[in-house]
Amino acid sequence: MTGNVIIADCGDSALVAKAVGLDAEPAWRLVHALADVLNALQLTGVHDVVPTYDALLVEFDCAATDHATVRRVLAHEAARLGPHPAPTTPPRRFVVPVVYGGGYGPDLPEVAAQLGLSEGEIIALHSGTDLTVRCLGAPAGAPMTDGPPFPKPVPRLASPRTRVDAGSVAVAGRQAVICPMPSPGGWPLLGRTPVRVLDLHSDPITAYRPGDTFRFRPIEPQQWDEFADLALGDCAETPDLVVGHG
Amino acid sequence: MADTLTIRTAGIVTVQDLGRVGRSRYGLPANGAADQHSARVANVLCGNDDRAPLLEITALDFACVPSGDILVAVTGAPAEVSVGGVVRPQWEPLPVRAGETIRVTGINRGLRVYLAVLGSFEAEHLQGSCAPDTILGFGPPLRAGDELALRTACPPIDHPFSRIPLFRLKAPVPPFPTSWTIDVTDGPDRAEFGDTGRRLFDAPFTVTPRSNHIGLRLQGAVPRRVTQGEVLSRGVPIGAVEVPAGDELLVLHRGRGVTAGYPVLAVVTATGLSALGQVRPGQTIRFRHRTLDQAITAHRAQRQAIDALRTRVRTTFEALRIRAPAGV
Repeated sequence: MTGNVIIADCGDSALVAKAVGLDAEPAWRLVHALADVLNALQLTGVHDVVPTYDALLVEFDCAATDHATVRRVLAHEAARLGPHPAPTTPPRRFVVPVVYGGGYGPDLPEVAAQLGLSEGEIIALHSGTDLTVRCLGAPAGAPMTDGPPFPKPVPRLASPRTRVDAGSVAVAGRQAVICPMPSPGGWPLLGRTPVRVLDLHSDPITAYRPGDTFRFRPIEPQQWDEFADLALGDCAETPDLVVGHG
Repeated sequence: MADTLTIRTAGIVTVQDLGRVGRSRYGLPANGAADQHSARVANVLCGNDDRAPLLEITALDFACVPSGDILVAVTGAPAEVSVGGVVRPQWEPLPVRAGETIRVTGINRGLRVYLAVLGSFEAEHLQGSCAPDTILGFGPPLRAGDELALRTACPPIDHPFSRIPLFRLKAPVPPFPTSWTIDVTDGPDRAEFGDTGRRLFDAPFTVTPRSNHIGLRLQGAVPRRVTQGEVLSRGVPIGAVEVPAGDELLVLHRGRGVTAGYPVLAVVTATGLSALGQVRPGQTIRFRHRTLDQAITAHRAQRQAIDALRTRVRTTFEALRIRAPAGV
């Protein structure tokens, strides 16, 4: 306990540091800054870090290091960063084309009904704000973003789908996501982007990182092919354009 | 032209290594050999780097033929192993002459057999590993007729006049019982299960067929969460024992999604995970509670046994003038 994190054992090969006493934004900032620091330190035996919203999972080989060593470093670095660490890299903004509704977003009518809004209002809210990427999660580098400013949380599907198409754009609770690869999923689908989310042969495989923002742009189904050859990285705005958008 | 290893009977076989490290942050699970201990020992018995590509043979019969003389080692679940029709032991290096068929049949008690080749073979890598990732669609199972390009030849070293086994390297062989004991430590959310958490240790659980390298689903007297409220998605370790809605226990394995939103009741130990990689659907598991110190001591002992084996292999190979593979 160092004031802003609690560090708990998570089996014989991991620790979890959880931010405490902080609002969501500084808690998120702290666990990601802590992950950056750990990566840079390249501690013997520590091989993976998973920063999410308010927690950081640190995985290590307990034959090469031990809990006490990793715990000491985490506590020290958390204290050094303080409750309000500065962002390390400037965020980028991605404008992501999405075909809403129909076969592309089969749950759009259901979500609209649950929230007491029209389908058009759901689309306007989902594509009307910059959504911040909070972490990369399952499956396979999926960008987990803040949800759009809906009036209330969106329930998960009663029965998850066994297969969700790559590029599907989904919401649940107060979160949103783009599904990068075909996989099972329990989040309601609003639409689908034609752009390729991952580049498996670049390192890292994602063009986006936590802190970047997505702005969804509605397109018509007949425009699908115009974007089908694009990667998500191609949708990043240049710094000049970001200024232009204010 | 380089020699090849041709797959004759495929069954369920993939090219594996110990998994993808350092990519969890980008949402990629480790994957890699489900029984890390057996995979590691197979490579060590061939004088390879622990992380060299090898074959993971799951449940079904397998056969392959090399076009040149090689040395292999077969570890993992008990099976009948033969080379050129002669029965050969697991957990020892096996010389194989060009054209001889290596057969692995009747895999029993455990689920996965590992076959390493001295010098290893060429394998496609993605993000630093050749381990299959089923979500990314990388590393499809091998099929009959597939050829792997061997990196090194191994001159024949079999005794010219007798067929007695050449090696007695005493590799550390784990138990393969019919009913498994799997070690766990307390999970970070143990308190959320109150008194029901003890159920984990009270009675055995049965592994259901809906189990794979991503996770094992177990049936039995399932502990219940006694607290309310959403758990924010966060990183979960390999080995996390979770209780999603429903009446099944979920134990995450090496292909698990790196984030999840269920409370973690317990975490399978590093040695327990290798054992769990061998449990067959239909078999039963009893969980055994361990302290962190006990779990770490067991893991370190297992690694030290492998380190000692590595030394014996080196000495033996030098005595037999077997050239240890370079940079594999």
